[in-house]
Amino acid sequence: MTTGILTGIQRFSLNDGPGIRTTVFFQGCNMHCAWCHNPETIPMKPKLMFYPLKCVGCGACIRVCPTGAQTLCGGEHKIDRSKCVSCGKCVENCFSSALVMSGRAYTVDEVLSEVLQDREYYVQSGGGVTFSGGECTLQSGFLIELAKACRANGIAAALETNIDLPFEKLQPIFSEMDLIMFDLKLADSAAHETWTGMKNERVKENILQTNRLGIPMIARTPLIPGATDTVENIQAIIDFLAPLEHVTLYELLNFNPLGGSKMDALGEENPFACTKPLKKDALNELTEALTIPDGFTVRIR
Amino acid sequence: MSQITFLNEFDPARTFSYDERIKLLRKRKIAQTEEKARAGGADEDDYGLIEQDAFHYRLKPSHPNGSIYGYQAWTENYTAILREHPIYCDPLDAFAAKGFLFLERLRPKDKKWNPDYPYDNLQTLFDRYNIISGVDNCHHFTPDLEIGFELGWGGILEKLREQKALHDETHAEFYDAEIAVVEAVIAFITRAADEIGKMAEIEQNRQLSDNLKAMSAIDRKIAAGKPETFREAVQWACWFSMLSRTYNRGSAGGQLEDMFNRFYEADIAAKRLTDEEAVFYLACMFLQDSRYFQLSGPDPVDGHDKTCRLSYLALEAADKINLACNLTVRVHDRLDPVFFKKSVEYLFKNKQGWPRYTSDNALVKGFMRSGYPAELARRRVAAGCHWMCIPGMEYTMNDTVKINLVKVFEVAFNEMMSDAGVKPSIDRLFRLYQKHLKIAVDATGAGIIHHLTYQTKSQPELILNLFQHGLIEKGLNITDGGANYYNMCVDGSGIAVAADSFAACEQRIDMEHRLSYAQLKRHLDENFTGEGGEAVRQMLDHSPRYGGGNTLGDRWAVRISKLYTMLVRDLVEQYREKQINFIPGFFSWSNTIFFGNAVGATPNGRKAGEPINHGANPNGGFRKDGAVTAMCNSIASIQPNFGNTAPVQLELDPGIANDPEGVDKMAAMIKAILASGNTLLNINIIDAKKILEAHKDPYKYPDLVVRVTGFTAFFAMLSEPFRELVVERVRAVNPEAEETAATECVCDY
Repeated sequence: MTTGILTGIQRFSLNDGPGIRTTVFFQGCNMHCAWCHNPETIPMKPKLMFYPLKCVGCGACIRVCPTGAQTLCGGEHKIDRSKCVSCGKCVENCFSSALVMSGRAYTVDEVLSEVLQDREYYVQSGGGVTFSGGECTLQSGFLIELAKACRANGIAAALETNIDLPFEKLQPIFSEMDLIMFDLKLADSAAHETWTGMKNERVKENILQTNRLGIPMIARTPLIPGATDTVENIQAIIDFLAPLEHVTLYELLNFNPLGGSKMDALGEENPFACTKPLKKDALNELTEALTIPDGFTVRIR
Repeated sequence: MSQITFLNEFDPARTFSYDERIKLLRKRKIAQTEEKARAGGADEDDYGLIEQDAFHYRLKPSHPNGSIYGYQAWTENYTAILREHPIYCDPLDAFAAKGFLFLERLRPKDKKWNPDYPYDNLQTLFDRYNIISGVDNCHHFTPDLEIGFELGWGGILEKLREQKALHDETHAEFYDAEIAVVEAVIAFITRAADEIGKMAEIEQNRQLSDNLKAMSAIDRKIAAGKPETFREAVQWACWFSMLSRTYNRGSAGGQLEDMFNRFYEADIAAKRLTDEEAVFYLACMFLQDSRYFQLSGPDPVDGHDKTCRLSYLALEAADKINLACNLTVRVHDRLDPVFFKKSVEYLFKNKQGWPRYTSDNALVKGFMRSGYPAELARRRVAAGCHWMCIPGMEYTMNDTVKINLVKVFEVAFNEMMSDAGVKPSIDRLFRLYQKHLKIAVDATGAGIIHHLTYQTKSQPELILNLFQHGLIEKGLNITDGGANYYNMCVDGSGIAVAADSFAACEQRIDMEHRLSYAQLKRHLDENFTGEGGEAVRQMLDHSPRYGGGNTLGDRWAVRISKLYTMLVRDLVEQYREKQINFIPGFFSWSNTIFFGNAVGATPNGRKAGEPINHGANPNGGFRKDGAVTAMCNSIASIQPNFGNTAPVQLELDPGIANDPEGVDKMAAMIKAILASGNTLLNINIIDAKKILEAHKDPYKYPDLVVRVTGFTAFFAMLSEPFRELVVERVRAVNPEAEETAATECVCDY
C-alpha cells in the first residue's frame, strides 16, 4: 500500500484555496526558503521537535532514548541533536506534547478518511482538499493516488507548489488537479538562489508550460521584508504573469511570523526572528506603486 | 443608582433624529449595564432590569418560613407590586416599560418549593447524581402574544369572567387569581398613561414632550384595549415583557414576523408608518429587553418562506443598537439567500453573537418522531437559550432540568472500584454507568411528575397562563392540565468529560496497559498531585478525544448519547397514561461551573472541581488544529434527534471574514454545520486579543457582548469564572491565540 510522509492534516482551512478546505501537508522540500513558516516540513524525513515549556520533567523520554540524546541537567531537559537519530521512541512516551515528530507515514485510505469527514463543507462552499507542505510534488506517487481517490469521491483537489521539479514529473501530477497554486518568490534568479537555495529559471519555464495545460492557476509571492517586498520585484513578477491567461489571481501573502516557535523547536536559528509583517501603510504604498494591467487581479492576504 | 425618569435633560429647542435617539438610548443602556456589573453582575441574560433606589418591595409571606405559595399569595404580592411599582420613562424612547425586580427571586432561596409537598426520597437521588431537577422552576415556555393582540387585556379580563361563570367552584381560585392579576395589570398601565401624561406637561423639549403625549395616549388605549397599529403592538409586547419578567422572569419572545408583520403592513399601506420609524420602534424594543425572537422559517402549512421586509428591518434595528440581541434565523430549504447572507454580514459586522441559526430540517424531523405532524413541528420556534417551543401550546420545563453525566460517571467508577470481588474493566464500567444513568433519569422523570402535580401549589404561572390556547376555557394552571402538549425537556450535561473519560480508560488501561484501574483511582483521589500524577494526567489528557473526528472519544460520545436518549424516551412509556412526552437534549446553560464543582478528578485528565464541558461542545484541546468542522461533525453525531437541541457553540476570529470571500465562506460554513445534522448554532465573533484584554479588565470594553451559552451577556457583567469559560473556548479553536497575543498583534496589519 502506498504511503506518504505528512506533517499534518489541517481541517477548516480558509486560506489555502477557494471555499472551506482540508489542507494536507507533505514532509520534504527541495527549497530552503529562509523565511519558511513551516520549517518542520523542509527535511525529507521527520525530525524531532522539542517544546521545553510543555515538558513536565517525567523523564520517560530519557529512559527510552537509545542514543542518550535526551538528558535532564539541573532540572532542565536538554537534547543533544548530534546524537538524536529521530527514531521517535521519546515521542511515543511524551504525553505532554513537549516532544513531537514533525511528520509520520500515512496511507491513502487514512488521509481520505479524514478528508471525507468535511464533505458537506466543501459542497456548500466550493472547497475541497489542498495538497501543500513542504513540497508535495516530491512524493508524486502518493500524491497522485491520493488526488485520484479524492476526486473519485467528488472532492475538488488543489495544489500548493514551488513548481520547481522537471516538468515531465509535474505534468502527471497537475493533470489530477482542479487548481494549481504556485509560488514565484523572486523575479531575479540570483536573488532567488540566495534566499531559497535554488535558481528560478526552471520555475518560470514550468509556469509557462503549466499555463498551456489549461488548468486554473493562482500565483503567489510571500511579502518578506528585506527580501521580496520591493516594488521592483513584484512589478517584474506581475509583468511575467499578466500575459498568462490561466493565472486567475495573483496573491501577495504578508509575512507570517509564527514559524519562529517551530524553528526553536527544531533547534534551528531563525533569521527572521525580529521581522514583523508589513503594516497597512506599507502595503498600500506598495500596491499603489504597481502598474497592474487591466483584467489582472492582485490581492493581498 | 440609575434614574428612572429623564425629564428636561436637553435644550427645549433641540430636535433629534431617530438615529440620534438610538445612540443616546444605547449610551444610557451601557451606563445602566455597567452599574449592574459593578453591583455584582450576573451570569445570565440581560433582562433589561434597572438598578434603582426608588422602589424596593418587601415580600408578604404566606408561610412561616418567609416564602409565598399558591394562587392567593402570588396574586397578593404581584398585584401589590403593580400598585406600587414606579413608572420608568425615558422621553427619548418609543416605549415605557422597564422593570426593577423579579417577584420570583424575592423568595428565600431555599424555600421556593411548597414544603407541604416534599420529595425527600427523590432529593436523595438528585444529590447523589447532582441533578438539577427543575422542581419549582418556572416559565421556560412560550406565550402566544397573538392572544393578547386579539383581545387586549380588557378582552382577556372579559373572557376570564365569562369562563368563571361557566365553571364550578373548583376552579374559582384560578379565576379569582387571574382576574385580580389582569385588573392590576390594567390599572398599572392606566397609571403609567396618567403619569407619562403628566411628564409630558413637565418636559420642555417640544419633540420629547410630544413623544411622551403619544406614549401616554397609546398606553391609555392598550391598558384595556387591543393594539391596532405597529407602535401600539410593539408597546403592548414591551409591557407584556416587563409584566412577565416582574412576575417570574417569564419568557416573552416568539416568531417576530408572525407577531408584528400584519401591523407593519397595515400601517405602511395606510401611510401612517415609515420604515425608518419601524426600525426605530424595533430598536427600542430590542434595547428594552433582549428577549428571543426567531426570524424567517417556513410557513407551517405550505412551507413558503416567511422572510419579508420586516425581517430585514429587524436586522437593521439590531445593527443600530449594536448590543446584546437574541435573534435566531431559522435556516430552511426555501430561506431567502439574500436575507441569509445579510444576516451573516451583520454577524461579522457587529460581532455581538447574533444572529444564531437553527436547522428547520433537523428540528422538524426530530419533533415529528414523537408523533407530531409537520405543521405543528414547524410552529416550534427558537425562544430561549437553547430551546424551542410552540407559542401558546406547550409546557416544557425547557432548560430547567439537567443531569450531570459526569457525576453519574463518578458514581459508577467508584462503585466499580469499591467492589474488590470483580476485576475492573471498561465493559464493567459502562454496565455500571448504564445502571446509574437509568436511576438518575428515572429519578428526574419522577421529579418532573412531582413538579407537574404540585407546582400550582408553589408557583402558578399567572401571566403566561393567559397566553395559552384553551387554558382560560379549562380554568387550570398550565401545570395542572392547562397546556395542549407536555413536552418535557431533559438535558444531559458534561457529555464530553464523560466520553473522554471512558476513552482514556479504554485506551490507556484496557488497550495499552499503561496503568491499572487501581493506579488510576489513586491518582484521581490525589487529584493528580501525587508522585507521577502530572505525567499520568498528561497521558490521560492526550487520549483520543470527542471532537477529534472518528476517534475513540467520538465513539464513546455517540454511545453515551444513544444510551441517554433511550433512557429519556423510556420515560414516555413509564408515564404513558399521563400523555407526557420527554425529549432529550444536551446542554448545560450556566451550570458548567456548578456541575464541575460537584465532581472530583476524572480520567480524562480533568482536575477536581474544574468546570465540565459547555453544552455539547468538546473539551478544550480536542484537536491540534482546533478545527471547527471536526468539532461540529462530532456535535452532529450526538444529537438525540427528537426536536430539542444540543447546540454548537462556536468562537470565530473576526479576521476570518476579512477577505473578499470571507462572508460567503462563513455563510457556507453555517449551512454545512446545519445540513450535517446539527440543530442550533451559536456563534461568537471574538478578536482573541480583545477578549484576553477584556478578561483582565472587563470595563475596558463595556459594550463587548458575548454569547455565553445560548444567551448573550455583556462581558463586563459576567463573573471571572464565566469570563474564563468564554476565553477558554476561544483558545480551544484558536490554538495560536495566546502566542499571537504574546507577540505583537498582527491584526493591526
